[in-house]
Amino acid sequence: MFLLSCGLIAVVALFLLIFVIGAYNSLVTLRNRYKNAYSQIDVQLKRRYDLIPNLVETAKGYLSHERGTLEAVIAARNAAATANTRAAQNPGDASAMKELSSAESALGGVMGRLFALAEAYPDLKANTTMLNLMEELTSTENKVSFARQAYNDAVMTYNTRREVFPTNLIAGPFNFGPAELFVIDKPEQKEAPKVSF
Amino acid sequence: MDFFERQDKARRHTTLLVVYFVVAVALLIGAVYLVVVVIFGGIELKNAVDQTTTTTSWSHAKMFLATAASTLGVISAGSFFKTLSLARGGRAVAELLDGRLVNSNSTDGNERKLLNVVEEMAIASGVPVPQVYVMDGEAGINAFAAGHSASDAAISVTRGAMTLLTRDELQGVIAHEYSHLLNGDMKLNLRLMGLIFGILCLTVIGRILIRARGKNAWPFLLLGLALIIIGWVGVLFGRLIQAAVSRQREFLADASAVQFTRNPLGLAGALKKIGGASEGSELQSARAEEVSHFFFANGLKSEFFGFATHPPLEERIKALDPSFDGKFPRVVLPDTPAQAAPPPLPGVSPLVQPPPPPSQAQPPPPPLPTAKPPPLPMVRPPPLPVGPATVAQQTIIADIGRPRTEHLQYAVDLHQAVPPAIQTAAHDPLGAHALVCAFLLAEDTAAREKQLEELGRRTSDAVRQETIRIWPEVQGIPAHARIPLVDLALPALRRLSPAQFEQFRAAVNALIASDNQTDIFEFMLQKIVMRHLDTRFYPERRPVTQYYDLRPLVRDAGILLSATAYAGAEDPARAQAAFAKGAESLGRIARAEIPWLPPTECELPHLSAALDRFAQSLPQIKKNVLTACAETVTFDALIQPREAEILRAIADTLDCPIPPFLQA
Repeated sequence: MFLLSCGLIAVVALFLLIFVIGAYNSLVTLRNRYKNAYSQIDVQLKRRYDLIPNLVETAKGYLSHERGTLEAVIAARNAAATANTRAAQNPGDASAMKELSSAESALGGVMGRLFALAEAYPDLKANTTMLNLMEELTSTENKVSFARQAYNDAVMTYNTRREVFPTNLIAGPFNFGPAELFVIDKPEQKEAPKVSF
Repeated sequence: MDFFERQDKARRHTTLLVVYFVVAVALLIGAVYLVVVVIFGGIELKNAVDQTTTTTSWSHAKMFLATAASTLGVISAGSFFKTLSLARGGRAVAELLDGRLVNSNSTDGNERKLLNVVEEMAIASGVPVPQVYVMDGEAGINAFAAGHSASDAAISVTRGAMTLLTRDELQGVIAHEYSHLLNGDMKLNLRLMGLIFGILCLTVIGRILIRARGKNAWPFLLLGLALIIIGWVGVLFGRLIQAAVSRQREFLADASAVQFTRNPLGLAGALKKIGGASEGSELQSARAEEVSHFFFANGLKSEFFGFATHPPLEERIKALDPSFDGKFPRVVLPDTPAQAAPPPLPGVSPLVQPPPPPSQAQPPPPPLPTAKPPPLPMVRPPPLPVGPATVAQQTIIADIGRPRTEHLQYAVDLHQAVPPAIQTAAHDPLGAHALVCAFLLAEDTAAREKQLEELGRRTSDAVRQETIRIWPEVQGIPAHARIPLVDLALPALRRLSPAQFEQFRAAVNALIASDNQTDIFEFMLQKIVMRHLDTRFYPERRPVTQYYDLRPLVRDAGILLSATAYAGAEDPARAQAAFAKGAESLGRIARAEIPWLPPTECELPHLSAALDRFAQSLPQIKKNVLTACAETVTFDALIQPREAEILRAIADTLDCPIPPFLQA
């Protein structure tokens, strides 16, 4: 039975090899999937970064006294665009994603301030360009959040796969690091309304 | 030879392939056994001479069983593994070759050109838009299509093909790939890939064995060496089969591509560029060999012992362009790789307006010198007319899976006539989600409000808002543009995460259920969407052929024909007459009564189940049933657009794509 056991060993070796290849490939696939999912966010974020200067340009004529806010919006937009460029090069990278998260949260904050300001100017609110831009921006915002959800789902699947047995035996040696989620803090949730007595 | 005969032929090819393969495996087992006998038999003999005992006498039957079992085990394990990893369809192959999924809402010029060409072809042939991949690392000019069916197909092109080819040439290449897609070649290719991989595993075992070290290791070294040789001979045979199957199909695909675009110079131009480019059609990827039979042109550096998977370039060009003098134009590759174009974004100085974003796909140059309506950006273009008069039943069936130039022209026009807002929506996951939901909304305001509320509950506020936003635009979309739009939206919908897809499914089902009017067309639309997406999210639920005869499906045929008849005629008597005409064409085949059913017995759930069963039947049965449906629909000389679209939807659920109906 010497030969049969040799054959058995060969088959077992093949199965082991197949397992390693399979696990490795599945990790690569999942990594590609979340990177791909990021590209979907990237498209919408860029669209948003293109819209914001238009919005500011339109609002400028009405909000001449609010130059500070407008400049803050542009600054936040530029910071977020830079952070996005970095994140797009290496989606899932912890520091890049954290930087993008905070830049996006900051941008969300100043945009909220701008919208609140606009409420006080009925002429601006009635401007059709402004209305279109705001509508477009809301829709893009929705698309970002939808794409973000898909990205985070993909990251979770990848992270889970890389942590569970037996794939975790492969993840270490082949350098499959953990991926970072993309979370945006909603400013209104974070800053509780101040109540003074 | 029509679509169904070609499908049948592809099926027979597959059977033949399995027979070849069984013979090959039997020969391999024989060869391995021979080697084992020589090597280990030799040891036996030596031992016997040395010790003059026969304690370890081997029975040859046992030895044979052992070798056969292990060889078979290795080959089937390998094949099984490969087939399993290919179950995800075309994208599995595309990802194997380091393809990058192109974003359906990409604004990059080259990517947009590629996507537009693919989308137009899809509309023209009536199949869902496949996933498009670009192999960024490949500078040569090549392309391939892979998948089990149109639902999970992926088209993949090299960076060279995307950047070096003109739109006409690219169109020729993509049309060639579509003909593989419509002829059922891809399924065959995938199966071949799985089987050859199993044989290849023998050489892998051989490589493990020749690493054996130790005093008594030499038999293993010998065995390993022999296994490598045997494995390679086996792979050689596999490649032979592969090349034989592939070569004859390449000419066929070239011919179909020309029939499709009626522009042989486009395809010939692409082939000439391959001849002239320094990289040719070669691929760098180490895995190219495994998939060489998928490609548009020879992807390997050297021909495999003279068994090329593709006919010579010159021969293919001559078949398309008889004036070809054998001289290839020089093609200069661009120095900078087109990928990784730096994002033009950051650094907008404060309060300065940036250039407007590239909002829409640039209008492609016309592939044919015919007059085309210029794209109207903001005004809704006049709805494209559908020939309401006479579509002959014969032409409907003959056109299946065989789009012509007129269909392509129609697709180009339709593609440009769709309002920009809807185009944008169809290319974005959230937008596509909203688009499908908007198709299912009721006309009635109160009912719609209820539906939207339900939608918000099932999904998220973002989806509800987006649906409300595009609803006014969606309302104006005529019936004949809805199936193409759904086909356009599928690549974006495939990018939903599994969790988002579950929400989408629940939302769509809820919208259908809450709509009190049972509209068969809307129902068919959602069935198309779900069927194509299920192959993406549940690859294991692939339908397999289960019905080889019409007889068990007689009642289902009754449901299908009755429902079609009711959809076409208000008056019950006329409906029954239409049904009778359809049933008559089936009656001879089924040799049984096709039951005429009251409306309560052919409601949407019944219809759905009936269609699912027909989807699992032989191509010839599908053909007969579709012919009967076409007879029913064409009963009255007047075909309403809606009726025509229901027929297309039914054909789609049976995997028999009907090109759009053209104005007579």
